[in-house]
Amino acid sequence: MSTAKVKMREKKMRNQPASVQYPSPPLAGEGSSQNGGDAPVSGGGPGDGPSDIHPSTERPKSSHHRSGWVRGHQKDGGSYAKEMPKYISAGGFARARAAEVSAMLKAVTKTTGSCHVFGALPKHMRRRAMSHNTKRLPCRLRDVANRMREKSLQAGSKKKKEQAKNKSRKARRRHGNLLLEFNRRQRKNIWLETHIWHAKRFHMVKKWGYCLGDRPTYKCYRPCYRAMSTHCLLQDLSYYCCIELQGEEDKLLAALSQLTSKKAGPTFAAALCISGRRQGSVVVYRAGCYPLQPLGPVTFLWRPRTPGTTHRQLWIWAHPTIKQDLLPELQSVCQCHEAVLPPVVPVVTPAEVAPTPEPELKPEKTPEATQTTRTKRKRNCKDASGPPAKKILGDGSRSPTTPVTWRSSSTGIVINDLTMEIVRYRLIGPQSHSVLAETLEAATGCDEMNKSQPSSLWWPEHCKDESKMKLHQQQADIFHILKDIYSTGELPSGTVLGLAVDDPRLTLPTKKVKALPCVKQAQEGDEEKRRELMLRGVPEHCCQSLLWEQSVRDNVTDNKISEQELNRMRSQVLVPGSRLSPTPLQGRVPILLVHQPGKQVGHEMSSWGAGWDLLLPKGWGMAFWVPLVYRGVRISGLNMSLKHSQNKGTPHFPHDYPDCPAGIRLQEEQEAELLDKFKRRPPAKRTNYIKHGCLAPFRCPWQQLAEEWELITREGGEERKRDSQTQTTADSDTVMEEEMTSHAEIAAAKPQSRFTVLRNRKSLRLLSGWCRPTTSKGQRPCRAAGVAPLDSSAMMSFVTEQEMSLVWVRLSLLSKGKPELHAMVCVPTTEDLKLLSNKSDNSGPQEPPHRNHFKSRMKRRKKGSKKAATSSAKTEGEGSDLPSASEPNLTTSAEDAKSSSESSTDLIFGLWPDPLPSITSHCSRVTLGWVTQADFSLSAGCGEALGFVSVAGLVNTLFNQPKEHRGILLLRNPTSLHYRFAKINIEV
Amino acid sequence: MVRVKSRYLLCELVVSDRSRLLLLDDRAIALAVKAAVARTHGDYGAALCSVGFSVKYLNAHTGIVFLRLPKRCYRLLWSALPFITSVETRGQRIPCFLNCLHVGGTIRTCQKFLIRYNAQQLHRMLPKCKNEEEKQQVRQAILSCSLTRGNNEALEDELGGEEEDEEE
Repeated sequence: MSTAKVKMREKKMRNQPASVQYPSPPLAGEGSSQNGGDAPVSGGGPGDGPSDIHPSTERPKSSHHRSGWVRGHQKDGGSYAKEMPKYISAGGFARARAAEVSAMLKAVTKTTGSCHVFGALPKHMRRRAMSHNTKRLPCRLRDVANRMREKSLQAGSKKKKEQAKNKSRKARRRHGNLLLEFNRRQRKNIWLETHIWHAKRFHMVKKWGYCLGDRPTYKCYRPCYRAMSTHCLLQDLSYYCCIELQGEEDKLLAALSQLTSKKAGPTFAAALCISGRRQGSVVVYRAGCYPLQPLGPVTFLWRPRTPGTTHRQLWIWAHPTIKQDLLPELQSVCQCHEAVLPPVVPVVTPAEVAPTPEPELKPEKTPEATQTTRTKRKRNCKDASGPPAKKILGDGSRSPTTPVTWRSSSTGIVINDLTMEIVRYRLIGPQSHSVLAETLEAATGCDEMNKSQPSSLWWPEHCKDESKMKLHQQQADIFHILKDIYSTGELPSGTVLGLAVDDPRLTLPTKKVKALPCVKQAQEGDEEKRRELMLRGVPEHCCQSLLWEQSVRDNVTDNKISEQELNRMRSQVLVPGSRLSPTPLQGRVPILLVHQPGKQVGHEMSSWGAGWDLLLPKGWGMAFWVPLVYRGVRISGLNMSLKHSQNKGTPHFPHDYPDCPAGIRLQEEQEAELLDKFKRRPPAKRTNYIKHGCLAPFRCPWQQLAEEWELITREGGEERKRDSQTQTTADSDTVMEEEMTSHAEIAAAKPQSRFTVLRNRKSLRLLSGWCRPTTSKGQRPCRAAGVAPLDSSAMMSFVTEQEMSLVWVRLSLLSKGKPELHAMVCVPTTEDLKLLSNKSDNSGPQEPPHRNHFKSRMKRRKKGSKKAATSSAKTEGEGSDLPSASEPNLTTSAEDAKSSSESSTDLIFGLWPDPLPSITSHCSRVTLGWVTQADFSLSAGCGEALGFVSVAGLVNTLFNQPKEHRGILLLRNPTSLHYRFAKINIEV
Repeated sequence: MVRVKSRYLLCELVVSDRSRLLLLDDRAIALAVKAAVARTHGDYGAALCSVGFSVKYLNAHTGIVFLRLPKRCYRLLWSALPFITSVETRGQRIPCFLNCLHVGGTIRTCQKFLIRYNAQQLHRMLPKCKNEEEKQQVRQAILSCSLTRGNNEALEDELGGEEEDEEE
């Protein structure tokens, strides 16, 4: 019987009289003290005196010996006779009767069964729902019932008491109070400007200090994909952090060159990018340690040169998880350690802020707009009676005194943290330019009357300058040409276009319409211009935008017309529904359009998923968001952006960068999450990963993989060396040399023992050439001519260079099957390859099921815990005679050593305990790596997986494979025993 | 209601030497009953006795026993009870017989009956007392059970009428 059952029974039998008999001598003496006041007699032991013959031993079922029913027949019955009284008296007999009566009375009056109060009521007086509504009970029972009810409520739901809502719903929903509440709620996690829009439609997740939409609540996986490939998908990327660097061009480049390496592709100094015409992307490393310690990928954008000065402005856009590492790194390379404290500004109304239309060199001098809003908010928190709460624009979680600007006295570089200062929307899809063209309209100029008088707004001032208006006209022309382009992917990747546009709310359609490309036949001149645009991109001077100016940004943010005001103006229009005829002067916004490249690598589906990024000054997020949504775009969240990069064949930031700090963190989080999910199932319903031969289903031990492959290649190299020594002497000394260097390198590499991800362009190109013939379906012949053939010496030199590195690969399945997260990438044996060539319908080999060596240990441990007092030494002794491993690779000796330590650590059923055995040789096929993202690819029509494999392992495998099957690997899901053939692609 | 039904016999053990009553335990009585049933009704009776038979309560001071018998065959088993002449316990043979006082469908009715019976017995004892000391003790006993009853208001309406009758 379980303890709960025992308790139940005890409760039930509490009032029932137990047998009254003389159990055993010592207990009989105790019996008197357990009387519980039922009987009036309180006396000593049984032998006290003649009057006190049998101090009532009734109710032996009390605290001391629970088993009121004394079982077990004692043999030495004589001893009882001695203890027992020789005779009885009438008084004693009477007392015994009385005691019995009272015991019976108790039993009769107290009903058994349920412990509820209304058990005390006779049946005919019980009413329905008495337990729910205690007022149905008679008064005398109400108190007890209430107490019981409270108790059960507390026990049932351990949730904290709901806080008293002191305000009525109406009061809470009032605008000012609602804003205060919102401001309170975004103190911990930053809200994007579109947060409320998203929160109504999306599953929100708290990630990286932001509240972000993960996926819509409605089903839209395929529609989103369709939007990406045929129309347009919109995403709010405002959570990306912008860091602004200002300074002399050469000094900036000198500082930044420490963070990157030319070997990994174009750097900050790439000619196209530095002119400001293109956006560039680069993987940033810690200063000076190029192959090691990467921080992550960033995109950057230079401001076009202003003639006559070498002062440049650079925006670096980074993922929020990179920012915390990147910012100190940038500060150290630029020697910017002087934090410029944000000036304490008196609260000024936005209209009073004097606009400075001329491009300013030192934006940090101007008071920050955020400052004013923040101080306002603070004041509002203090006295609620003041003016209504101000909406937080920008970073609400940062305290107002945190410095956001750092400058260096030696180099003159200024670093400005522009997090949440600029709104960034991403439009993905071939029709994103038509969506933009339909939504945005180049700003209309202002008439003469407005021009003459000085204004606090930026646009009238801007209009006064003839050259600026000319530039604006040119930009507007280019924007018009953009409409005629057939697909977004036709533009050169990374093109930048600066523009000033009208408030898009003014042209908001009354109904949602799908933006379609205009099919009108263009004139000759337009055709010419369009070709120019497609080939050369936007000319340099047109990339200029006033969005770069802090003062203009602030001015625009502060002078935004509120929705309410706009609606009021609309209601006063003579013809309802018509456009506001003189566009209000406040409604001009400087923006930047940045083209996002689509699929650049590989041969099929090129430029898939290209699109535009729309950069806006803060505060204008919703003003642009709703008009965009009204153009029939689909909205996606984080989930879709992952799929986007997967289909595009680009690594997605935190997931596909296991060597970056953010990637490592993500992997840990993912492991904890998956393990938690796994543990929530009952053990019998869990996947037994041990039997599946899956050592690490929830994480990828990259470090161990790299180390093991390093070991394997070294052994292989030694063997080969011996061979070559016997055969050719010419070859041997080179190998010898390599051997020497490799050993030296190993000695050097050992202490740090860090794996790296291969990002060296040259090595990647070489590796990619070796992997062919493999475009994912293998239809096209290899066209890379200049690749060195894969032979022994080339392989050796390559491997010794890249011993501890992993390489990011794309795998596409040859037949059916859907790869999953953390699937294993394995090397096919020669028999497998033969099978592949023999039968076309063959889907792949099977892994024989493994034995669970930990089962017996688990059982023993369970038993041990039940006994609780068994000697631990015994279990340890037994632990050493484990059933011997079926595979020769399993190091039993290591297991023995482990067993003692493991007896203390917890074994989880179905998972390998922590010190993993050899990863590479655990299964029947040698493991090369794991998959980090995998799904059925809608664009390729087959299962596709992105993952990492060990470079050394891959090169060895490729070398050993016959030419026609080169680049074919096996893929196995952690929950399955079935291997599937997959082709490997490394695309540069 | 749907349940396994049984009969409860409230019996009194009558012994010649009351002090030997204290030696009794429930196990011994169960054995004696089983032996008697086996003797009178053979294997069939013994088999009936094996399921659903138990000694629910025994008071060694007063010699009250609750026997539980399956309802299906309680008459048969009951018929064997008069053949018990002695109970073997703790190495001693106590000559006794069982006097059935009440047959109830639930333990509760037996308990109720026992309360009434005991009270009645006490009242009968009072006039037969030989000396003052005894009388005092018996009186106290009666008072004590009425006192407990006084605390239990719930019981008053059930038992009050009968007790009052007897006291007069």
